[in-house]
Amino acid sequence: MTTLFRKLAWWLQCRRKEDELRDELAFHLEAEADERQADGLPADAAAWAARRDLGNVTLLREEARTLWSWVLLEQLAQDVRFGLRGMARNRLFTALAAVSLALGIGANTAIFSFMDAILLRALPVADPASLVVVKWRSGPAGPDSPFVMHAMDGSTYDDGSGTIAPIFPFPAFEQLRAASGPALSRLFAHKHAGGVNVIVGGEAELARGEYVSGGFFDGLGVRPVAGRLIEADDDREGAPPVAVLSLGYGQRRFGDAASAIGQAIVVNNVPLTVVGVAPAEFFGVDPKVNPHVYLPMHAGPALQAHGFKVVDFVDPNYYWVELMGRLNPGVDLARAEATLAGPFARWVATTAAGDAERANLPVLRLEAGGTGLDSLRRQYSMPLFVLLTMVGLILAIACANIANLLLARAAARRQEIAVRLSLGAGRWRIVRQLLTESVLLATISGALGVFVAVAVVRVLTQLIANAEEGFTLRADLNWHVLAVTLALSCGCGVLFGLAPALQATRPALSPRLKGRAIGLSRARRFSFVPRAIAKQALVVAQIAISLLLLVMAGVFVQTLSKLQSIPLGFNRDRVLLFDVDAPQAGVPEDRVAGFYADLLHRLGGLPGVRDVTLSHASLIKAGRGHPVTVDGRPAERTRLLWTGPGFFTTMQIPMMRGREIGEGDRGGTPAVAVVSERFARANFGEADPIGRRLDIGGSMRENGVPRAFEIVGVAANAQYGGLKRENPPVVYVALAQVAADQMGKATYALRTEGDPLAYGNTVRRLVHDADGRVAVTDVRSQVGEIDQTMIQEKLFARMCTAFAVLALTIACVGLYATMAYVVARRTSEIGLRLALGAGRRTVTWMVLRDVCAIAGVGLVLGIPLVLATSRLVQSLLFAARPSDPLVLMLASGILAVAVLVAGYGPARRAARVDPMVALRHE
Amino acid sequence: MTRPAPSRIDLVRGTLDLLILQTLRPGPSHGHAIAKHIQRTSEDLLQVETGSLYPALYRLEAKGWIAASWELSDKGKRARYYRLTPKGKTQLAAEQSKWDAFARAMGLLLKPASEEAP
Repeated sequence: MTTLFRKLAWWLQCRRKEDELRDELAFHLEAEADERQADGLPADAAAWAARRDLGNVTLLREEARTLWSWVLLEQLAQDVRFGLRGMARNRLFTALAAVSLALGIGANTAIFSFMDAILLRALPVADPASLVVVKWRSGPAGPDSPFVMHAMDGSTYDDGSGTIAPIFPFPAFEQLRAASGPALSRLFAHKHAGGVNVIVGGEAELARGEYVSGGFFDGLGVRPVAGRLIEADDDREGAPPVAVLSLGYGQRRFGDAASAIGQAIVVNNVPLTVVGVAPAEFFGVDPKVNPHVYLPMHAGPALQAHGFKVVDFVDPNYYWVELMGRLNPGVDLARAEATLAGPFARWVATTAAGDAERANLPVLRLEAGGTGLDSLRRQYSMPLFVLLTMVGLILAIACANIANLLLARAAARRQEIAVRLSLGAGRWRIVRQLLTESVLLATISGALGVFVAVAVVRVLTQLIANAEEGFTLRADLNWHVLAVTLALSCGCGVLFGLAPALQATRPALSPRLKGRAIGLSRARRFSFVPRAIAKQALVVAQIAISLLLLVMAGVFVQTLSKLQSIPLGFNRDRVLLFDVDAPQAGVPEDRVAGFYADLLHRLGGLPGVRDVTLSHASLIKAGRGHPVTVDGRPAERTRLLWTGPGFFTTMQIPMMRGREIGEGDRGGTPAVAVVSERFARANFGEADPIGRRLDIGGSMRENGVPRAFEIVGVAANAQYGGLKRENPPVVYVALAQVAADQMGKATYALRTEGDPLAYGNTVRRLVHDADGRVAVTDVRSQVGEIDQTMIQEKLFARMCTAFAVLALTIACVGLYATMAYVVARRTSEIGLRLALGAGRRTVTWMVLRDVCAIAGVGLVLGIPLVLATSRLVQSLLFAARPSDPLVLMLASGILAVAVLVAGYGPARRAARVDPMVALRHE
Repeated sequence: MTRPAPSRIDLVRGTLDLLILQTLRPGPSHGHAIAKHIQRTSEDLLQVETGSLYPALYRLEAKGWIAASWELSDKGKRARYYRLTPKGKTQLAAEQSKWDAFARAMGLLLKPASEEAP
C-alpha cells in the first residue's frame, strides 16, 4: 500500500520528475563525452560516442515513466471502464442501489447540517470558545416552596433534581461585574424585549427587540458594519436614546446599512436615533431570537415594553436579566465559577427573607457559551435526534443493498475470476479491479447524494421557515458531514467489495473452471429455510429496520390525524385573525378600550365581513390564568379569556344558557362573565350557574380584593390554549370591563365571506387610518393558526412517511435482487425439478416460501426493536404510541404486501424456467 | 572505438540492483560514476547498459532503498547523487547473503567439473 501511495505522490510530481531525468541524462552524456575526450577523441566524436553508448533515450524515458505509475493509472482506467460495463449490464439494480445510497447520503447530510446549525455551531463572534453563560441552580423551587426569587421574567427549567435558570436580578449583575475581575475580562447582560413597535417614516411595524448592557457588543467582540454599536455610555439613565439595527432589518427599512445611521425612529412611542448596524452574520446570542433592534437596557423603562419598570434595576428579588461573560486567558470554566460563586452566594444570602428562603438559595454556575444560549437546542435536539436516527437507519439499509449487490456479483463472477487467475492475472490486480468497481458505485452514489442533500436542505429550510415565524436560521450544506457520509459509503463499498474479492481470488481453480456444481440442493422443506435466512441476514435486517420506520411513520401520521380531528368547539373556517397593540404604540392607557371599540366598529362596517369581535388573544394562543374562586372555593386550573362583544357569535360557539357578552357590558356597568360548560360542571355541578358569582384575584384584583363577576351565560366547550393540552375550564370576561392599566394587545377576529386572507390589506389600511402609530401584526387565518400549532407534527408525519417509503423501497429492492440472484443460481435445479414433473405453482411457491420466511423473521426481529424505541419518541407524540397493535399490524401488513410484490417477480421467473434450456445450459 | 571489446557478461536480471546498492555503499554517487564504477571494478567484464541503469535507479528510489538529491559534482556541475537509505542497507545485506549462497552453490556445482577438465 505504501508503494501505491508513493507512486501516487510521484505521479503528482511527474512533470518535475521528467525534467529531472532529462537533466540527469544530459549530465551523463556530458560526463561520458568528457571522459572520452580525455581518452583522446575529438569533441564531436566523443559526444556521438557517449550518445551511442547511452542508447535509445526515448525508450529509456518511457521505461522510467512506467515506474511513475502511468501503468497504475491506465489500469485504473481499464478497471473503471470494466466496472461501468458491468453496471450497464445490471442496470436496474445498479441504479436502484446507487439512488438509494444517494438518498441515504443526502438525507443524512441534510439532517446533520441542520443539527450542526442549531446545536453545534459556534456564535459568529470573536473567540467563541472563551464565552460563558452565567446560570444558577437550586433545589426544587415550586410556587409553594419559599424561594428568594419572588418574581421573574424569563424561563427556568428542571433537570430532575433541581431548578436551573439563566436569569438574575439586576443588582446581582452589578455585584458579579465588580467581583469578576480575576476570572472574566467582561461580563455583560441582555434581555429579550419581545416584539417592539417600530415606526420608520410613518410606517408602524412590529420588530424583535433585544435590550443589551453597555458591554454587550464589546464583550462579544462584534464590529459594526456601519456607525457604532451600543457602548457603555449609552446604557445609563438619562443617556440620549439610541438603537442599533441588525443588517437585514436596516436594509429592509432604510435600503442600506449606511443610510440608516443617524436616522430617527420611534420605538414604542419613544423617539430614538439609529447609531449603528450590526454585521450580517450576527444573530444575537440566541439563534432562535435573532433580534431586529438592539436597545440599551436602561432605555427599557422608558420604552415600557412588557412592564419594564425603573424599579426592576434595584429589586433584588426580581429575576430577569441574562448574563454572559468572557474568560480571561488561561482561566478555565471551573476556576471562573469558583471565583464568582462566593460573591454571588454572599450577596444572594442578603436578599433572602426568612430562614425558609435561606434554606434553598440559588448557587451560581457557569456553562460554556461558545454556541450561544440553549433554548433552541433544548427545543429541537430531541426531534433532530430522532430524525438523525431515522436517516442513519436508511443509510444502513442502503449500505446493506450495496453490500448485497457486491456479494451477489462476486459470487456470480467466481468462474470468471478463476479463469483470469489461471491465465496468470495477479491476485492483487483482480482484487484491485473488484475494489474499483465498488468504490465506483459508492462514488456515483456520493455524487448523486450531494444533489439530494442540497435539495433536502432547501426543502427543510422552507418547511421550517414556514413553521416558525421569524425563524431566520439558515442551515448551510455541511461539507464536513458530506465528506463523512461519502467516506462512509466508500468504506462500505470497500468493505463489502474487499471481502468477496479476497474470497473469490483464493479458490482452488479447477472445480470453478468446471462450472457450477449441479445438483438438487438438499432442499428439504424444513432444512432449506433456516439456511436461506442465515444467508440473507442483510435482507432480514433491512426488513426489521423498515418495519421500525413504517411504525414511526404510522404513529406520527396518527398523531397528526388525532390532532386534526380534535373537536374545536368553534368554527375555524373563513376567520381572519390579526393582532394590534395600542398601548405599546403609544395610545394612552385610558383611551385604549375606546380605541379598540372604535376599531371594532370600523371593521364591522367592512363589506364582506359578517361578524367581528376581539379578545386579548386568540383561543388557540391564549394562556391567561388568575386565581378564580366560586363561593370562596378555588376553581382549579381555570383559564381566562377577555373578550369583546359578539365573541361567541363570531366564533360560532353555541351558548348553552343565558346570554353572551355584548356591547352593553362596558366600564361602569356590572362586571359580567360567561363560563364554559366544563367550568359550570366542575364548580356548580348540575345547578344553574346563571346569576351566580365568581371572584378573580391575582393581578385582576381591584383595591386589593378579588374582583367579583356575575355569570350571565354558559357557553359550549371550545378548545383553549392550543390543541395538545387538556382543555381547561374557561371563564370569559368582558374586555371593556378590564382595568385600563391591565390592557395590552388585542386580537381581532373577522368572520368573512370568501378567503379571509384577502382582507389583510384592507384591514391594514383601516388600522393605519385609525392611528398611524399602531402596527397590524400576525395577520393569519384561523385555519392557518391551527395548522401552525401542528407544524412540527406535520413536518414529522411528512418526513417520516417519506423516510418509511424510502426504507421500504430500498428493502424491497434488496429483497428482489437477493431472490433474483437465488433463482438465477438455482436455475438448473429448478429446470430439473420441472423436468421431473414439478408444477409451476410448486416452483413459484418454493421461491415465495423463502421470501415469506425472510420477511417473517424480519418482522419478528423488528417488533422488539419498535417496542424498545417507543419510549424514545413518546414525548413527540400525541395520543399515539408505537406499541399500538393497530399501527403495528398496519405496518406489518404494508411490509408483508410490499415484500411479496418484490418477491413475486423472481418467483414468476423461476416458474417460467424452460427445463430444456436450463438443463442444456449446464 | 578505441577500446578493446572484451567478452562481456550480460547482467542477470535483478543483479543490477544488487550491484548498484553495493556501489553506493561507500558513499553517494551519481549515475555516470555508478556505471563507470561497475565497469571498472568488474575489470570491464560487466558492461552496464546505460539504458537500463537509469530506470533501475528510479525503481530503487521508488522502493525507497536509495534516495536522490541534486548536488555539485567534483567538476562543479549539477548532478543527481544517489545514496543508500537505511532500508537499502538492510536490503543490500539480505541480497548479498542470498547472492553469496547462490554463488557458493554454483561454485560447488561447477568446480569439480572444471577440475576434471583436461
